[in-house]
Amino acid sequence: MNWLWAVRDLLRHPVRSLLALLGIAVASALLLDMVLLSGGIERSFEKLLLSRGYQVRVSPKGTLPFDSEASFGSARSILEQIRATPGVVQAGPILGASLFARRDTLLVPLVAYGIDPTAQGIYVVEEGGDLPPGDTTHVLLGAPAARRLGARLGDSVTLVGRLDPQVVAPARSVRLAVRGIVHFLYDARDQPSIAVTWPLLQGIEGSRGADRASVMVVRVADEADTGTVVRQLRRELPTLGINTVGDLVAKFRERLAYFRQLSFILGSIALVVTVLLVGTLLAITVNERIGEIATMRAIGISRAAVVRQVIVQGMTLVVPGGVLGIVLGLGAARWLDAILTSFPGLPAAISFFVAEPRQLLVAALTLLVTGLVAGILPAWRAASAPIAATLRSDAT
Amino acid sequence: MHRIVIALGLLLPAHLTAQALDIAVERRFAEVAHLRVGDTVWVAPTADAPEHLARVAAIIEPAADPATIMRRDYRVRLHLPDLAALLGQPDRVDRFAVALAPGIGIDSTVDRLNRVAFGYEAFPSSAIASQSSTTFLVVSRFHRAIAFISVLASAIFLLCLMVLKVEARRQDVAVLRFIGISRRTIFRSLMIESTLIAVAGALVGTLLAAAASGAVNWYYQGSFSTSLVFSLLQGRTVLFAILLSIVLGLAAGALASWRLVRTDPLVLWRRAG
Repeated sequence: MNWLWAVRDLLRHPVRSLLALLGIAVASALLLDMVLLSGGIERSFEKLLLSRGYQVRVSPKGTLPFDSEASFGSARSILEQIRATPGVVQAGPILGASLFARRDTLLVPLVAYGIDPTAQGIYVVEEGGDLPPGDTTHVLLGAPAARRLGARLGDSVTLVGRLDPQVVAPARSVRLAVRGIVHFLYDARDQPSIAVTWPLLQGIEGSRGADRASVMVVRVADEADTGTVVRQLRRELPTLGINTVGDLVAKFRERLAYFRQLSFILGSIALVVTVLLVGTLLAITVNERIGEIATMRAIGISRAAVVRQVIVQGMTLVVPGGVLGIVLGLGAARWLDAILTSFPGLPAAISFFVAEPRQLLVAALTLLVTGLVAGILPAWRAASAPIAATLRSDAT
Repeated sequence: MHRIVIALGLLLPAHLTAQALDIAVERRFAEVAHLRVGDTVWVAPTADAPEHLARVAAIIEPAADPATIMRRDYRVRLHLPDLAALLGQPDRVDRFAVALAPGIGIDSTVDRLNRVAFGYEAFPSSAIASQSSTTFLVVSRFHRAIAFISVLASAIFLLCLMVLKVEARRQDVAVLRFIGISRRTIFRSLMIESTLIAVAGALVGTLLAAAASGAVNWYYQGSFSTSLVFSLLQGRTVLFAILLSIVLGLAAGALASWRLVRTDPLVLWRRAG
């Protein structure tokens, strides 16, 4: 009954009801997008970090993995130490370096990773095979690198190490066969990356690469407590940064605080707009129907019933407006995500707007609560209007 | 850019400080670490590398750089030979900055350098600036997209409010029509009222925007300890917002007023009652 009364009243004023509905829809879309933005990239980043099952990263102290060119020495002994730590089931080194590949007379700049194929967390093989452990004759190419080099499976690629302008010659060059085309999980779009075994890259890179690594990935046993393993590693390796996925996400979150704050501010503005729209419309509706409401009260309709009617009328705007807003918001999220994911250097797998059921539920509940809040003042005014005075004033 | 590790809190004899490297530290770092000119610190390229004694020779304020502000890194400057020695990479640099004599073509010089070069690549400054500004172009596009959604929401909100405002005058309009005031006169007076509301709203909105802009700058400049301006309220932005508000307000007012004056006064009276 309440719903029918509310819908009929809204239909009496189609233009303003339609405008209010559209306003709520756009505000809801903005609210949803801001809810998605507030934690989307963190969830996306966490999912990416855990995608290969390594829960801990070891990197030079004060840096995040591959955040700078920093690397650390004595990597083999550190690796042995990590592997010997109780609770660690697997650990692998990764060395990052800049290399060149020869293509005809040109030198093509590449990003190279030196890895242990049995314990790496940075790529998945898409075509061909993985590198055998200890391999010194093969290379894996990412699709962008394969495109730039015009190379396919089985082709040969000549990699050139650090160039020395003084002697006008590369430190070292090596000819390798392409064994696989891989997808590098953390690469930016079109980043030309390759992977070879760790010792091979150390050799190609030259003196700077001797027994050095940029990062080590560590897998902790399911039955072991990651926190305990990390505490022990921090005690044993005090000069290195030992970070769990949670630590990395927290540092990432700190850097992206801007987006969280922006989403909070814009989300709040969207809520204020919704409250104002619904509240104004309900206040005017109550004002117009104050005589009718006083009559209802005079014939015995309770205050609670009047309050319910006003709140329900607010909901008849908020619910369809919110549903329309969610549809609009999901579309807008894809558009905004396409803009933000074009940030240079950002891993292509990262997304700023992650639509999960929980986020949709949060946005929907927030909107419903907002609708309720917006209806409180007009509903209170309708229920507390003095019956006799209102009827008298309405009659004159 | 290279990372170095710094250990703090030392009081050393004069003969040791005489051998120290001279470093300049960023003001933010000096504040956090309570460093003053003349203090001594240990510096090392990595946490596990041998340390070298250094003396704070200056406290500097690097040019505000939006590209690095979110990283919150602290900057320390060393003389080039000192840093190269510290890193164990003597006679190496990351890049050279080259100033050309007046009249020398930038592109032709870059081409010539790249033809004779081995192991490095030359770029015109404009290319580097364009590359490093990509991040800000993306942020700018994102802001524009958000602004579009906000303007859309505001426009609908404004239209709705103006329709409500004019519709609230139903009884007055009915009475005016009963006493013989023409539709045109009523329409004109409703439009004047809409204009006044739109102008007043736009001015209040501008004041609110100025206050919000000031609050944003105050918060972020304090948060990042920088002189960068985060929110810039430009004249053309204000003008655009005011014009948009007035145009939308007038359009909404005209639409609602037109509907009102077209309606029979008896119907208006009945609806208002």
